[in-house]
Amino acid sequence: MSLRSRFFLIALSTVLLWGCGPDEEVAPVEPPPPTTGTLRLVIVPQWQGGPFAINEVYNNVSNYRVRFQGIKFYLGDIRMLTGTTSTTVKDIVYFDLHNGSAAAQWAVEPGTWSGMRMGLGVPQVLNDADPIVYPPMHPLDLANGTYWNWANAYRFLQFDGYYDLDGSGTEPFTTGFSIHTGLNACYREFDLDLGSEVSISTGQTTTITLNLAVDRMFYSATDTLDLATENESHGGNLPLALKLTDNTVGSLSVQ
Amino acid sequence: MKYGAHILLMGAIILIGCRKDPSLPMDAVDLPFALRLPPGAPMPMIPEENPLTVASVALGKALFFDPRLSRDASISCGSCHHPDRAFSDTVALSLGVEGRIGFRNAPTLANVAYHPYFFREGGIPSLEFQVNAPISDPLEMDHNLRDAATAVANDAEYQRWSQLAYGRPLDAFVLTRSIASYQRTLISGWSRYDRYLYQGEDDVLTEQEVRGLELFNSPALNCTACHSGFDLTDYSFQNIGQYLDYADPGRARLTSDPADMGKYKVPTLRNIALTAPYMHDGAMANLDEVIDHFANGGLAHPNKSPFLTSFALDPSQKGDLLAFLNSLTDERNLDQVP
Repeated sequence: MSLRSRFFLIALSTVLLWGCGPDEEVAPVEPPPPTTGTLRLVIVPQWQGGPFAINEVYNNVSNYRVRFQGIKFYLGDIRMLTGTTSTTVKDIVYFDLHNGSAAAQWAVEPGTWSGMRMGLGVPQVLNDADPIVYPPMHPLDLANGTYWNWANAYRFLQFDGYYDLDGSGTEPFTTGFSIHTGLNACYREFDLDLGSEVSISTGQTTTITLNLAVDRMFYSATDTLDLATENESHGGNLPLALKLTDNTVGSLSVQ
Repeated sequence: MKYGAHILLMGAIILIGCRKDPSLPMDAVDLPFALRLPPGAPMPMIPEENPLTVASVALGKALFFDPRLSRDASISCGSCHHPDRAFSDTVALSLGVEGRIGFRNAPTLANVAYHPYFFREGGIPSLEFQVNAPISDPLEMDHNLRDAATAVANDAEYQRWSQLAYGRPLDAFVLTRSIASYQRTLISGWSRYDRYLYQGEDDVLTEQEVRGLELFNSPALNCTACHSGFDLTDYSFQNIGQYLDYADPGRARLTSDPADMGKYKVPTLRNIALTAPYMHDGAMANLDEVIDHFANGGLAHPNKSPFLTSFALDPSQKGDLLAFLNSLTDERNLDQVP
């Protein structure tokens, strides 16, 4: 190979390899100042106004002893309200009360609000989507185990535990209840009055706490969920699922 | 000219070094999968976003028979959908991981490409969605799609197919799409019945089988009220009066409508001789029992299909009907993938 050829090859290689080289170091840029605030939504489970815990024993409205194994649910299409203005701030959040209170937080535009609107469950547009589109850590991630694979739909609310019809009985509990709501018919939208105006400011975190009166999940003003006969729903018992849905909506209030 | 050769050589070396996946040969391309359709078979609906390709179908087949998709790597899709049984199972209720007993009888996968919805209650709208169900069901493979994909992600051949077919590493998306593609190739339509009906081979059915076909088509038996069309089902939901009180609500599980209690998607009759036991729970062991059930008109469940009325068959006619049902067995392997 002639000297000229070698020179040409070296020059060509240099040019081409240069093109593949790493980018030049760029001086760090100051992050822009935040334009949003943070809304932190906390769910606090309670029993008759006092503390509530999974695996503790309580007497419900029918004087049945109950011991919960799990309460999990979705809140969807969360909107902040003021006057006639409604601003969507979150599409879906998931709460698992296994360890008591649970919280979710996310960025929102600053504003002042007097109420909230949300749905108990998963909005239809999310519920009907292929579940594999949701990445790890997403509320609708399949790894949460909330998906009804036979129905192509999510369980909106899982309400599981044991009960004993004898209110003064002793351990062990032998009969379980497992009421899971789901399917689009169970999605229930509701409003919450924040009591006073709540402001979300740029760069600040605002906490809104919702109490979940677990004891109230067994009854409403007009009806009672009787575990003796109403203790299981996995998609095929819509009346029970709707009753629990309505009771649960009535159990949520702003702290 | 000498410089030209040098330039080409250097360019090739550098370009190879910059390619995304060096394991793929330079000329690697995926080709459309040539689906073989029997005479009389309509073209199934293939989703535009998941076309059948050589690589997608090959990958789907490999995954279909790969036990690593189950949580303890003990069972594959093929463990309950046996190719020599028209991709159905031989037991009433299949066994999942750790010997867990399934909920319903595993149906044949023959011609699932034509199904408008899946599962006995019809709650799943596509084969792509359906793949998730057995993989994540605690009574079946008890895994989740993401972990299942991870379990097979170190397979170089799978990754090569995945890149070819979908241009991405093997993940839950590829898993569901490729297995769905493979299942769409399981076309059944090469039985003697098909040769008789669609290819004009008048003497391919015996006289007894022809008599059975005539009985099948007769208003008295009314089988064709539901078992009609190329796939011998209209995919409607029917209660056949199997029980007075159903432990499994059937379609009512999905709709919560009491009028749907005990209704299940009408199954295909293709390869029916291979797919025993029968019914949603595998409660009927053989076709004799099935024919007797329909001849008796079923139990008086309030939702029982109006198409079911009792009929009389003498032993000879029953033999004719059985013979016809046996003629629905494919003479070729349903699996089109080498």
